Formats: sequence, structure tokens, C-alpha cells
Amino acid sequence: MHFTILNGEPDPGSAFDSYVAELTARLTALGHPAEKFDLRTIDLKGCSGCFNCWLKSPGECCKRDGSAIVCHAVLASGFVLLASPLIMGFTSALLKRAADQMIPIVHPYFEIQGGEVHHRARYAHYPLFGLLLAAGADSDAEDIAITTAIWRRTARNLKSRLAFTAVAGCAAKEVADELALVA
Amino acid sequence: MSSLLLLNGSPRGERSNSMKMLSRVAEGWEYGGGSQPEILHLARRPQFQRAVMAFPAVDAVLIGMPLYTDAMPGLVKSFIEALAPRVEAAHSGETNPRLAFLVQSGFPEAAHSRLLERYLEKLARRLGSPYAGTIVRGAGEALQFMPDEANRKLWSRLRTLGEQLARDGRFGPAELKAVAGIERLSPFTAVLASWICKLPVIQYPWNGNLKKNHAWEQRFAAPYGPAFKG
Repeated sequence: MHFTILNGEPDPGSAFDSYVAELTARLTALGHPAEKFDLRTIDLKGCSGCFNCWLKSPGECCKRDGSAIVCHAVLASGFVLLASPLIMGFTSALLKRAADQMIPIVHPYFEIQGGEVHHRARYAHYPLFGLLLAAGADSDAEDIAITTAIWRRTARNLKSRLAFTAVAGCAAKEVADELALVA
Repeated sequence: MSSLLLLNGSPRGERSNSMKMLSRVAEGWEYGGGSQPEILHLARRPQFQRAVMAFPAVDAVLIGMPLYTDAMPGLVKSFIEALAPRVEAAHSGETNPRLAFLVQSGFPEAAHSRLLERYLEKLARRLGSPYAGTIVRGAGEALQFMPDEANRKLWSRLRTLGEQLARDGRFGPAELKAVAGIERLSPFTAVLASWICKLPVIQYPWNGNLKKNHAWEQRFAAPYGPAFKG
């Protein structure tokens, strides 16, 4: 299975950044090609709520920034790992900005899914999602629980599910092994 | 008179649904005895920076935002990250302002926003700020095309919440519940709604705009992979 790793770490010198790099290499070594996108290096202008990606140029953000690269990578993979440190109790603004700009991959039309109103699928296939967090000095179990629950809903709104969650702490090899099992 | 910093976290800025709702809360705040709030739009960079600077100097801060992919917009998360030094300040004994929030989403049910509400309540605790509550409202996008008169009851309730914030320091639970509207669809309503969603009239706001923009023929475009055939 092809993995796309969206790395929302803003600090290129951090231990978590090295951890995500090692994880990427280990997944590939296990026979699962993994491509890492360091979101801090991609031009993401952020969603401005214009809905042009639904109503003017369906399926594509009108900003013509790096979000097209991210959306394309997400849909071309079997598994998307969202990697981020917890900053002020939630994943980074960098990762959130990337997620905001994923709305072109769903359709504006409403449908009922699991008893709730959601948007309709635009594509025939969507990848599974996983969440890899790095706890900060002030993070606690409640932060992790809230963050995971929010991303579980986001994965559902992106017509998929959150199939994996982990907090970086154990060896990257162990996380890679677990991900390989999920895949 | 208590001071209020009113922050609009919508990337749409002044013309947003969040701002329409926030301005009614601000009216109530003044009616309840608060001083005229300073209003800043986080989507405007200088105002974003001003908001970070002004944050510790006021009695209360009300942050309004649309729900973006089940949480705060990236813009609001950037602002929250800019408040990190205020956590340290609180640990050193400095006080942070009372915090109130408003979250509105395009989905009709309030349930979509409840996890974000949980996060915001925790954020107030993290900053050592008294938590005044979160106004949650669904069907926010409808405010774009509904005439103002059609929302008189909503505006009135938002003003009441503003008054409560000024007088009691927090939103009243009964008024919060009334503004939230539909919390979840009942199983019967969900079945009914799944049929109603198939009617073109329900998708009218989308279809009307797609046609106006000459994008109707491309509405199911799938530029990055095989399209869903529903």
C-alpha cells in the first residue's frame, strides 16, 4: 500500500521531524512506498471559504497553490498519515491549514451518513487516515482524546475513517510495523 | 465598564456569517452595560497582530469562527498558537481575560461542533481564563442568502447572550440551547432527510451558483482520480 505522510511539524530541527523521516524510510523498507510532504515547505495559502472549489472550478482550489499537490497525493495513496506535534492542545496550524484546503475532494451536495448530514463523495475511492501525534510538555490525555476524536470526524467527512492513532514515544520501527499491519 | 475584544476568526472577514452573528452578540454586550467592543478580523494580518497584542489587556475576549473540517479554521489555530506565551504568563501569576466563543457551521445539526466546543473549553483552562461558554449554531451558511428579517428570533437570542456575557460574565445555558437549534437528527428525521437530500430543491443553493458560474456541466469533476458514480 502506498503511504502519504503529511508532516505538520513546523520546526525542521525537532526530534519529531527526524522521527517522521525515519518512519517514512522504515515503511518503504517494509515494502510500503511512503512519500513525506513537509507542509512547512509547501505554499498553502489557506482556505478562504469562497467555495469556488465547489461552485466555480469544481474539484480544484482557485488559489492554484500547493494544496493541489496535497489533494492529488492524498487521493493517489491508500493510506494518509497525519503527523503533527500537539501545540496548545491540538495538531499544528500547518496541518489544519492543509486539511481545510482538502474540501475540493468532496462534493458540496448533502447526504445523510450515519444519521448525520455530510457532504457527498466526489471520488470513487478515498484513502484510510491515520494520526501520529507528538505530545508537548503541556499535553495531557484529554488533549490527545479531543484531538483524536476531532480527526476521527474529519476522516469521516473526507469519506473515509481514522484507522490508526499513535503518540510518538516508542521506536519508529514499532510504529512502522503497526502501520504495515493496518495496511 | 468591562472591555471586550471581539475577534472574527472567519477567513471571509467582514462579510462572513460569523461576523453577522458576532455583531448581534456585541449589541447585547453594550446593552448589558459593557463598553463598545474593539472588533478585529483575524484574516487581516495587521489586525491579527493587533489581536495578539490586545489580548491580555481586556476583561473579556469573544472569538467567533466557522467550523472548518470539524474544528477551528487554520487561521484561528494560528492565533491560538500565537497565545502560547500567555500560558507561561498565567503560570507566572498573570491573569488572562475571560474567554467566550461562537462556532457556526454549515451543517444543520449542532452536534458537528461539539468536539470543537470541548477543545475551546480546555483552551480556556490552559490559559487560566474564566470560561464564559461557547455559542454553537448550525445552518450558518443560510445567513448568506436569507433576508435579515427572517432571522429576527436568532438575532434577538444572540443579543440576549451578549447581555448575559456583560452582566453575568457567562452565557446562560437555556439561551445557548435555544440558539443551537437541532442538536441531532432523530432516526426518523434522518431517514426522511436522506430522501429529501435526493430532491433537487435541497441542493438549490449549490445548483443555482453552479449554473450562474457556468460550472454546472463540471459539477461532478474529479481532477485527481476516478469519479464517484452515486
